[in-house]
Amino acid sequence: MSLHSAEKEKVFLPGRGRLFLRTFLPWQILRFFLINLKMSQMILKSHGSENKKSDM
Amino acid sequence: MKVVILGAGISGHTAALLLKKNLSKDHEVIVVSPNSHWNWIPSNIWVGVGKMTQKDVTFDLKQVYDRKKIKFHQARALTLFPEGRESSAKPFVEIEYTHPSMQGTRAQIEYDYLINATGPRLNFAATPGLGPEAFTHSVCTSEHAQECYSALNSLIQEMKKGKKATLVVGTGHGTCTCEGAAFEYVFNLDFLLRAEGVREQANIVFLTNEAELGDFGVGGMLLSEGGYQIPGSHFAMSLFAERNVNWVLGSHVRKISETQIEYEDLSGGIFTLDYDFAMLLPPFTGVPLKAFDRENKEITQDLFSAAGFMKVDADYQAKDYSEWSPRDWPQTYQTQFKNIFAIGIAFAPPHQISKPLKNPNGTLIAPAPPRTGMPSAVMGRTVAASIVSMIKNKTDIPSRRASMAEMGAACIASAGADLFRGTAASITMFPIVPDYKKYPKSGRDLKYTTGEIGLAGHWIKTLLHYAFIYKAKAYPLWWLIPE
Repeated sequence: MSLHSAEKEKVFLPGRGRLFLRTFLPWQILRFFLINLKMSQMILKSHGSENKKSDM
Repeated sequence: MKVVILGAGISGHTAALLLKKNLSKDHEVIVVSPNSHWNWIPSNIWVGVGKMTQKDVTFDLKQVYDRKKIKFHQARALTLFPEGRESSAKPFVEIEYTHPSMQGTRAQIEYDYLINATGPRLNFAATPGLGPEAFTHSVCTSEHAQECYSALNSLIQEMKKGKKATLVVGTGHGTCTCEGAAFEYVFNLDFLLRAEGVREQANIVFLTNEAELGDFGVGGMLLSEGGYQIPGSHFAMSLFAERNVNWVLGSHVRKISETQIEYEDLSGGIFTLDYDFAMLLPPFTGVPLKAFDRENKEITQDLFSAAGFMKVDADYQAKDYSEWSPRDWPQTYQTQFKNIFAIGIAFAPPHQISKPLKNPNGTLIAPAPPRTGMPSAVMGRTVAASIVSMIKNKTDIPSRRASMAEMGAACIASAGADLFRGTAASITMFPIVPDYKKYPKSGRDLKYTTGEIGLAGHWIKTLLHYAFIYKAKAYPLWWLIPE
């Protein structure tokens, strides 16, 4: 069977601190703004550019 | 000038609104779509777990188009005549109405510019037993997602009485795309079952055509974490282990019965999986459009790939994976006809992004490249700007380009919806199509290729839901919201 068992696979798991921070409000409020900033940077880089073959 | 847009999904609707905004009143913008409602598809997974309803993720298109003075035909496109006919040189598209008052009636819509944004045909027929008409569920449309939740809820009620169940989520064919949507659904399903107190009775299996978790059809990604560069697959596997979701990789589903899924994997082995509930995405083809030239000779095969997607300015020469290049990918989405463009899922990609694999049986197991969401909307914006420029400057050269090899993407993959307990994976990648010449180590710029899981991601996904519906309804200052 090609099934990978989540219980048996050797993978690294997040520690308690990391798990706590995932829903810790003050930290997540900060992350909300920082992720939005990162995404805004991504959007600005990704809205296309002038087609250099254009004769305009 | 008349600009006709086929399809009113994310890319087509974006193009239509921007064309209307930026063209003078002398020009006409016409939308042809078989659906009466617009659907914010990213939130369909929440409909599929009962967190939202169909009404929350859709709205009536005609109301918006009437307000914006965009002519709307609720119809499906059938045939293109890019050279017109002998009787008239004006190109046109033949449509068939789906609106109940004109069901089945056909008409011809002339155009000066045409944008094919018809999106996917959900090819459930590719796998016997796949789909809502057969044995499995889908979240590809809001109707499917509503039906999916209805079936899921029935099973949950049985589980509350003690039933143990196997729930399978993933891809229903070896060449599917949208693995990210399946990823979202499986973790929202896990979240729901925990909230309902029946998680211990559930065996959840993620059945995917990806060769490794976190591939998402983009070949996976390398992420910076704590000073190390770590494959995204490690983080993905970590989440699966954390949530006790089992997984099968590199799978191609062969057939499905009411109680069993038969699949093969990359080893060539053939396996069966008994199940009680399955949400399996279908592979996509293009919608079945045909095209004829002026002499009424069929030119469908010239305009469309074998899978029905429209060929644009990409390099379609067959080549080995080792010879793939970012320059294979289209830039302007213009077809061989200078006044026809194809965007979103409708354009034919030159090849996959992830390495295509075949098992010893010769079965192709290869995630198709995703071109939904943000890239899809950016293509709509880009082509709209090009057409505006082409009209104003009387040229047939597009003024804007937006290659997926030069474009990034921001994706939010929900892992459970709750204002204080929900989480989502917030992922950015740049570029979408990796460029190993420019970024030798990973193909992407690690400064802009990031991922993290947390409540903030859930808030962002919720914000995006309301923001993009506001934008799509063309409410005041809608155009300030970026794609």
